[in-house]
Amino acid sequence: MSTSALKDRTNVDPRTAVAPQDNPIALSAKNISVQFRSYKKRPSTFKESLIQSVKSRTFRHYSNFQALDDVSFDISKGKVFGIIGSNGAGKSTLLRVLSGVLPPTAGTVTVRGSLDSLIQLGAGFDTELNAIENIYLNGSLHGKSREEIAETIPSIIDFAELGDFATTPIKYYSSGMYARLGFSVAVDRDPDILIVDEILAVGDERFQEKSSDTFKQFLDRKKTVIMVSHNLKMLEDTADTIALLSKGKVAFLGNPSEAVETYRNSDYQTALS
Amino acid sequence: MSSAALSLREKETIERTFYPADHYSNQKFGFLEPFKAIKVLFQDIYAYREYLKQSVARDLRKQYKRSYLGYFWSMLNPLMMMIILAVVFSSIMRQNIEDYAVFLFTGMITFAYFGGTNSQSLGTIRANAKIIDQVPVPKYIFPLSIAFSNMATFLFSLVPLVLVMLVLGREIPITILAMPIIIVPLFIATVGTALMLASANVFFEDTAHLTEVVLRGLYFLTPILYSRDQLPDWLMDYIIFNPMFCLVEFMRDIVYYGKLPEFSIYMNHFAGCILLLVFGLYVFRRSENKFIYFL
Repeated sequence: MSTSALKDRTNVDPRTAVAPQDNPIALSAKNISVQFRSYKKRPSTFKESLIQSVKSRTFRHYSNFQALDDVSFDISKGKVFGIIGSNGAGKSTLLRVLSGVLPPTAGTVTVRGSLDSLIQLGAGFDTELNAIENIYLNGSLHGKSREEIAETIPSIIDFAELGDFATTPIKYYSSGMYARLGFSVAVDRDPDILIVDEILAVGDERFQEKSSDTFKQFLDRKKTVIMVSHNLKMLEDTADTIALLSKGKVAFLGNPSEAVETYRNSDYQTALS
Repeated sequence: MSSAALSLREKETIERTFYPADHYSNQKFGFLEPFKAIKVLFQDIYAYREYLKQSVARDLRKQYKRSYLGYFWSMLNPLMMMIILAVVFSSIMRQNIEDYAVFLFTGMITFAYFGGTNSQSLGTIRANAKIIDQVPVPKYIFPLSIAFSNMATFLFSLVPLVLVMLVLGREIPITILAMPIIIVPLFIATVGTALMLASANVFFEDTAHLTEVVLRGLYFLTPILYSRDQLPDWLMDYIIFNPMFCLVEFMRDIVYYGKLPEFSIYMNHFAGCILLLVFGLYVFRRSENKFIYFL
């Protein structure tokens, strides 16, 4: 590879350039900022935006809301990275950025390895379709071929304990069944990096045990896990590093017990006020 | 495994970068960019072939589900439309064109593909907002799936076309086998405009109304109901702005007149269609990362 080609890849430092597979960093976030526009009344048509801009003699009819402000961190392969912070601190926004659905307004995220998120279960399900059709739909949205998806079906249906309901449209499912299917579909893809947003409490007690077992297996097999939780005790025990978010900024990054300590001792709890 | 053997999806899982929403707007538009964009488009079509296949099948099933005649409607519907129009125009409006039904139908199905795809892809980004918010996918697969399912409808409607030709005792010209050379530019040009409209509709919801009016206008400015020599001369200077004009003419050449389109005109038009696709891709890729902020 020529040197110019190396330079083009903005996220590779030529001095430390290694093959991506050998890079020990699984995910690196560089200076991520997310700015939402909060409109009093958003012009949704061409006509409205014309009228509004003439009325107010400006093209700006919104104020900016900084959801994330210059967030940077690296996550090594095989580590558990926890994110804590009060409501509105930007945790969910950060997870959406890391999972690739929300492009930040500034900054980049580099991901090495397959990545999957358990942010909202049942992502992209069509309620008119049954479980098997939804597994096909969901797999195809992840760029899988028909054969690849077909292989996964028995284990997903089995894990979700759907039994005879596998051919019932999922609009008739109980919320527990729906969540179980969503969890099983996401877990079955067995990603290198897993993003979790406080959803381990899925289904009844027995299924919850099963899902936390699966989650433990993820940890045992040295997968990279990024998780948001309000269960500080659990996070302190499992995470290798914790980032404390406050008003969109990283207030603390490092040792889990120190992070939890900082969070408890300060007024980060009332970040919104 | 050598990197050449890896598919696009597999390569992506090794290392990829999520760029800021305005990344593509701030990039310089290099000379090679259009070719790269088209290459990526085809790679994505291949990578997401399973999604496209499924959603075409779902569209077709939804359209004709629970109707007694099922898929036959896709042939019956244009057939009946053609009969009505043929009766109206040949006996009431006195169009003096031989086998007017065939003449009319060739133009109609070609334009129906363009119009149908464009008006249906408008809402696809909003309709799939839930998926876009949860699964990272290249967003043009949604308008593309509409383009493909309309292509299926277009191909279905070739059957009644041939049937009518047989009934009227017309010879089926051998040039009808050249259909692919019409389908390719038709698809390319339609996807180009559909991408532009789909992204515009995310920012301005009234794009749908505007599109309807423009499509209606284009329909009458395209020689579908009449032949091209009935157009006034001054209008002929502006037909270059109507991407459907030549495509309808080409279609008529191979189906109705039984000749191949003139080579130089065809090549010019093909280049124009590619230009339309490149422009559509450019508009779409510049804005697709901002969609989520407006949905």
